[in-house]
Amino acid sequence: MTNSEGKAVQIVMIEDDAGHARLIEKNIRRAGVNNDIIPFANGTDALAFLFGANGSGEASARKHLLVLLDLNLPDMTGVSILEKIKANEHTKRTPVVVLTTTDDEREIQRCYDLGANVYITKPVDYENFANAIRQLGLFFSVIQVPETN
Amino acid sequence: MNTNYPNLLRVTYVFAAAGVLTLVVLVAVSFWLLEKTSNSTEDVIKAREQRTALTRLLLAVQDAETGQRGYLLTGESRYLEPYNVAIKNVPLRIAEVRDQFKDNPEFKPRLDRIEAAAYGKLKELAETVSLKMEGKSEQALAVVKTDRGKDLMDDVRELVAEQIDLVETKLTKAIRSQRDNAVLARWFTLGAGLIILLAALGAAATILRYTRALMAARSKMQQLNTGLEERVKERTADLQRANDEIQRFAYIVSHDLRAPLVNVMGYTSELESGLATLTSLCEDPKLDELESGGAARTAIREDIPESIGFIRTSTHKMDGLIKAILKLSREGQRILRPETVDLEEFFDTAIASVQHRVSEAEGEIKVLRPMPTIESDRLALEQVFGNLIDNALKYTVSGRAPQIVVEQVPSRWGAIVIEVQDNGRGIAPDDAERVFDLFRRAGAQDKQGEGIGLAHVKTLVRRLGGEITMTSELGKGTTFRVMLPRKLPEKRNDE
Repeated sequence: MTNSEGKAVQIVMIEDDAGHARLIEKNIRRAGVNNDIIPFANGTDALAFLFGANGSGEASARKHLLVLLDLNLPDMTGVSILEKIKANEHTKRTPVVVLTTTDDEREIQRCYDLGANVYITKPVDYENFANAIRQLGLFFSVIQVPETN
Repeated sequence: MNTNYPNLLRVTYVFAAAGVLTLVVLVAVSFWLLEKTSNSTEDVIKAREQRTALTRLLLAVQDAETGQRGYLLTGESRYLEPYNVAIKNVPLRIAEVRDQFKDNPEFKPRLDRIEAAAYGKLKELAETVSLKMEGKSEQALAVVKTDRGKDLMDDVRELVAEQIDLVETKLTKAIRSQRDNAVLARWFTLGAGLIILLAALGAAATILRYTRALMAARSKMQQLNTGLEERVKERTADLQRANDEIQRFAYIVSHDLRAPLVNVMGYTSELESGLATLTSLCEDPKLDELESGGAARTAIREDIPESIGFIRTSTHKMDGLIKAILKLSREGQRILRPETVDLEEFFDTAIASVQHRVSEAEGEIKVLRPMPTIESDRLALEQVFGNLIDNALKYTVSGRAPQIVVEQVPSRWGAIVIEVQDNGRGIAPDDAERVFDLFRRAGAQDKQGEGIGLAHVKTLVRRLGGEITMTSELGKGTTFRVMLPRKLPEKRNDE
């Protein structure tokens, strides 16, 4: 996965369940996606990485990022992270893929309202899960990720 | 309050009875006294009349004597006039007196004596008058001078006076008795009045007490009632909150349970793919050269696949259970949308969707008409009756074609009651409650299912404001009876 200028895209994975994180990574790799995956197990660390120590978002400027976001996090909800990403000048164009167990209709609507680009429910059945992640990987390999401001 | 109402009432009755009794006695006694007084009055009148009659008789005799004396003195016949009138009157007067005393036979001898005296006097008068008329004035005067006439007259006077005295005594007695009666009546009336007054007061007092006790009880009841309503409201709100909490809890728990399950399933798959590599390794004859080669081969070929198999079936089962909880909790959170549903049309659609299964089993499913229309949530109704019909088709007796009847049965309170009857395997009485419990099933476990169908149905029917009951006979069939309100209760919508 590259941007238009051939620069490598980094995948920021915010997922508190280490098992899920590993399964996601494995299956993305199986789909042939070799981009960097930066894993975060909680919201605080992820926000620190995305917006820097001062929280301005300057830290993410001129990067090519794609965020893989789980909604159920120990320290905050994924929805508030999504909100912050989409509200920040530097990160608002960063694609966000919500990948979570929640399949509540209202929650899905809310995420799209806040600017989520894709919403995927984790299937419990592993075959489907692996399939979904691999297809997501294929999707990653073709999408264009804009540079952040 | 410990007021003894029956006792109070009894006391009131006693007072009332005493009052009425006294009144009756008063009336009776008054009547008797009146009768007595009236008798006395008659006696008084009679005595007066007797006295008058006696006096008139005496006057008549005196008149006769006065006339005789005047004639004897003057010799003028005009002085005879009173005499002539008087002698005609005396017998009349005597008859009058006799008539007045006819009810008093005890006086007859006295009257006889009076009469005799009066006629004696008249006879003496007639003697002198006739002598004078004959011109024998001296002889007539001589007769007068004998004092026979005077004695006779005194006799008459004395006898009449005596008789009058007797009558007077009788009169006094009658008047006294009359007065006594009046006094007695007065005292009696006073006493009876007092008793009635007391009875009335007593009755009034008890009634007042009774009324007060009633009022107090009523106000207390009202207070309790208001309190009760408040409490019911509070409890309902509490229950609602608890229910909501449980729903949210179930939702969150089931969600959080899914996350580890994804791992268990995922890594089981990973293990399986790892095992595939190992299995190919088993084919290598070099393995036999190793000391633990045989054991490793057994582990790879039998033990590990078996373990993985158990993990898989268990995770699948758990997945099913979690899905069931999620479904139920989501159902509880779904907002019901009431609409008018024509149940005839509704059941036609429901049956059409299972027709192929019915035909396959060579069974029959009938909807008896007429069916009413209902204002309720269509989706919930579909789930309720879909589940019941599905169960009826599912739990059959092998070799017996399913016969299912859906019909409306009459009900009270304006509710709609629909029965779904089958000729299936039935449910044992011991399991009657269990079948409605979550994850619980009854009878032979030869059909797929998680044991959520009826639990789900029960929850749904409750949310629709209704009730579901079941009657069943093991081996014969089951009847589910769904009672639903004609109109979805309003408050269920603001949940």
